Amino acid sequence: MNPALSRRFTFRPLIAVYAVLLLASCAPAANGVADPLTNLRQADGTVAWQQEYRFEPPPAPWQLIDLDEDDYSIAFMKICSDSYPCQSTLAYAEEPFGYSLDFEERQAEFFRRFLWASRVVFEPPKLSKVKVFGQDGLEAVTVGTEPVLRHKVRCKILFARRGERVVAFYFTQWRSEEKPFDTADEADFDRFAESFGFLQPSFYERLFPPAP
Amino acid sequence: MEGHQRNLYLYDRLNARVAGVSRDQVATLKYWTEEMGLTFPIFSNPIGHLGIWFGTLEEGYPMFSRKTVIIDKWGVIRYMQAGSPDFREILTLLKQLHEEETKR
Repeated sequence: MNPALSRRFTFRPLIAVYAVLLLASCAPAANGVADPLTNLRQADGTVAWQQEYRFEPPPAPWQLIDLDEDDYSIAFMKICSDSYPCQSTLAYAEEPFGYSLDFEERQAEFFRRFLWASRVVFEPPKLSKVKVFGQDGLEAVTVGTEPVLRHKVRCKILFARRGERVVAFYFTQWRSEEKPFDTADEADFDRFAESFGFLQPSFYERLFPPAP
Repeated sequence: MEGHQRNLYLYDRLNARVAGVSRDQVATLKYWTEEMGLTFPIFSNPIGHLGIWFGTLEEGYPMFSRKTVIIDKWGVIRYMQAGSPDFREILTLLKQLHEEETKR
């Protein structure tokens, strides 16, 4: 056989395989959206995150939005198109705003900084003592308004303790001033927070092990 | 700065103190620290010689670039890191220095 012809026959199947591989890599999941947490799911449906956390992710159309690996914070967002703005966010933060180890002081410090760039004016938060991770925690619920754009945001913050540090779960829901809030999203947040647990002691617990 | 304020109780535990340095005027820093709720000292150094010493004064740029410096009790610089502070690295080193000190 002519050597040039032989090379052409050899390459054709290779090109076809390469094209199939390229197309396969573009194929979406069955529901049209790839689940970035697939490989992290455990048999019980929870997700093991960075060997640090275990939680039940909120159902679609909530989407994972924060992959900041420095502070291990994690966040999901859900966007709707009923009006503008129309979005909810839920998150776990290892280093919530503020400094105090006392919950009441911490929530006051927290709301001085939270959504600061959005120029939100918060109503005084309604505080309730709750149990988080089986320990005392503090729930702060408030509504903030952005008076120029006439947007409002409902916030529910759960302050909890991991070792001696204060950690927090955030829920925010943005709506235009005349639209009602959607309580279903908040229920997803509650389930997320309830399912949350730790797979190992925190950095601070390892650095300063509690006295026996 | 918020991270340092959050870790103050741990620095105390490790016999460490934190201070900030800025080229801003005292009045500006006073307002800013009150607004932020910071309780550790922030030094005003408008002339910028501290920035020259620690290599954080870039030519043609009016502010110090960020740098974390750890100095032990004998005045020896044990750590210098540009950019945002890595609090885990800082705390780990402070613990190590504290252990060294208590062994002497």
